Amino acid sequence: MGYEWDFAIVFRDFDLLLLGLVNTLKVTGFALLFGVPLGLVLALARLYGVAIIRVPVGFVIEFLRSTPPIAQLFWFFFAMPLLLDIEIDPFEAAVITFSLQSSAFFAEVFRGGIASIDSGQWEASKALGMERNAQLRRIILPQAIKRMVPAFMERAIEVMKTTTLVGTISYADLLYEANSIAEETYRYLEVFTVAAGMYFVVIFICSMGVRHLEHYLGRTGEITTG
Amino acid sequence: MEYNWDFGAVWTYRGLLWTGLQNTIILAVVCLVLGLFFGLFVGAARYSTRPILNYPATAFVELFRNTPVLIQIMWFFFAFPIISPFQVDAFTAATLGLVLNTTAFSSEIFRAGIQSIAKGQWEAAKALGMTYMQQMKRVILPQAIRRMVPAFMNRAVELVKMTSLASVIAYGELMHQAKSIAAISFNPIEMYTAVAIFYFLLIFPFAILVRRLEIKFQPGS
Repeated sequence: MGYEWDFAIVFRDFDLLLLGLVNTLKVTGFALLFGVPLGLVLALARLYGVAIIRVPVGFVIEFLRSTPPIAQLFWFFFAMPLLLDIEIDPFEAAVITFSLQSSAFFAEVFRGGIASIDSGQWEASKALGMERNAQLRRIILPQAIKRMVPAFMERAIEVMKTTTLVGTISYADLLYEANSIAEETYRYLEVFTVAAGMYFVVIFICSMGVRHLEHYLGRTGEITTG
Repeated sequence: MEYNWDFGAVWTYRGLLWTGLQNTIILAVVCLVLGLFFGLFVGAARYSTRPILNYPATAFVELFRNTPVLIQIMWFFFAFPIISPFQVDAFTAATLGLVLNTTAFSSEIFRAGIQSIAKGQWEAAKALGMTYMQQMKRVILPQAIRRMVPAFMNRAVELVKMTSLASVIAYGELMHQAKSIAAISFNPIEMYTAVAIFYFLLIFPFAILVRRLEIKFQPGS
């Protein structure tokens, strides 16, 4: 097929792609920073809240898990600012969306981890005279969190993949930069291939890290494999 | 601050939304069927100990599992046509991206499912004089597929959510129709709220079913 590949053009603008990658990581970082603690709060509310809290929290989690992230992003970027009469930039919309979206998934990871702890642990700590909060904080969570580590890291990788959506609301992430370079140079094939390669390198390294950690934790008996 | 909600436009443009919903479902069904079909073969290749089967299958799976699905779709829409011998429209590009992505993820489900079947089953089938294909088709897969059902349903849920990405390359599915209507009728609030609810109504029943099946198929029950 006589197409002449020319990667030189891509590498001339490589700094833009790298900048895009940094922005991708920035959104991911902020989303995790807010998403993880919020996920814990949602999980605890769903597990131990009174019905008036538990039911709406459960609904919010299910709603966020059952709608496409792009629909959420568009809602927070196009609908919410009009509704609340505020101004919001793409970065803020992305951080809000992906924090909430990931918190729903993290909540389920927390819930699964907490539920997996043997009820004898609750009873034993109660027998030592601990209150419910102390039981949770000192006995249950430290064990549960160790078990959750691989599931967490996997979710974090999913968050990074999901953040590619911010390009659609013109935030200059890696995909957006790739698209604009491609539009200027008409080198769609090279630019998109290089951008995909950059995502692959970053995400693959993270995935390998998760696999090693899983293996390590499985060997030291801190998670149940499978 | 008081905002007057007006869902009138959602009703006015119900025909466009209905088309979008149909296109979403068509895309999801096509990609699910093809993705599971190819996934079986890639999964079997991954399970194989022969490097000529195992290595390419592993490379394929890692490539598609470790890149965002949006860039896969965009690659097939913008980059692939340059070297492709045939015309690539939005539907083809979205289908290629989503099928290959689903193939990669479902092959892992097949592999894990096949691995979960006790070795004795292979040996027993072999002792009865079955060939490899017969062992797989008559003994292993019928048992393994039962265990895989919840994981496949989960993939289906993810897939329906992923079809919304086809809106980025202007395939007329639900999200894209919503975007167009919001632009014509200046009502992003109602439109994007309505479309989120539509997706929820479409996906949530599946999600509940998955959870029921997960409990039902739990090992030991």
